[in-house]
Amino acid sequence: MKKRYDPISGKSGAIIEDVMATPEVANLPFELNMRIRLCVEEVVENVVNYAYDSGSGYMAVETCLCAGVWQIRFEDAGVPFNPLDKDDPDITLSAEDRPIGGLGIFLCKQMMDHVEYHYEDGCNVLIMEKKIENFV
Amino acid sequence: MEVKVISPVDKVLVQIKGRVDTTNAAQFQEDLTFIMQGDMKDIELDCSELEYTSSQGLRVFLMLQKAVQSRGGKMVLTNMQTQVKEVFDITGFSNIIKIL
Repeated sequence: MKKRYDPISGKSGAIIEDVMATPEVANLPFELNMRIRLCVEEVVENVVNYAYDSGSGYMAVETCLCAGVWQIRFEDAGVPFNPLDKDDPDITLSAEDRPIGGLGIFLCKQMMDHVEYHYEDGCNVLIMEKKIENFV
Repeated sequence: MEVKVISPVDKVLVQIKGRVDTTNAAQFQEDLTFIMQGDMKDIELDCSELEYTSSQGLRVFLMLQKAVQSRGGKMVLTNMQTQVKEVFDITGFSNIIKIL
């Protein structure tokens, strides 16, 4: 899958469903499928809600399956932002001390096998990988 | 996503069905506002048909826990599916919200 969404405003659901409809994801076991859905949703939501200061810009999404590894690449031209720079939440805090939110990228880092960020040619690029060779 | 209130009186029992994601988290929160703002102290959320929650849903679960805990009440999530439990485990929510 290789698709560009421009503008991305209001397209979160469509982007997520497009990725989930690709055969390599749609045919995965339910639990793995849900993990991928979650990670895709967290990244897409971040970009749609925070990447562009004013108005709405584009987001390009590309997926591939190579040597048993599923990869997804997100690209946007919004404000430079490396979500991986953010400290992980303290998951040992009590309920009353836990802040609301801040879990999305942490979940991606925990659920994917590899997550990387680059700022290339004026674009934020986030790549996530998940080994699925045992499931396809 | 569907929220069904089975018993709204002494012990509040709520069934949560489907997926809680970015498209419906606001509605999910609104559906459960009566728990956050009420004075009920015994809350059970039946999660047997909850297939998925993203971080948007987790926000609501934490808000509920904080609200119920602050008034000395108890909230329990029951019959959680494996993939949903995994999200609670990874985020440490399993340690701060009672899951049976």
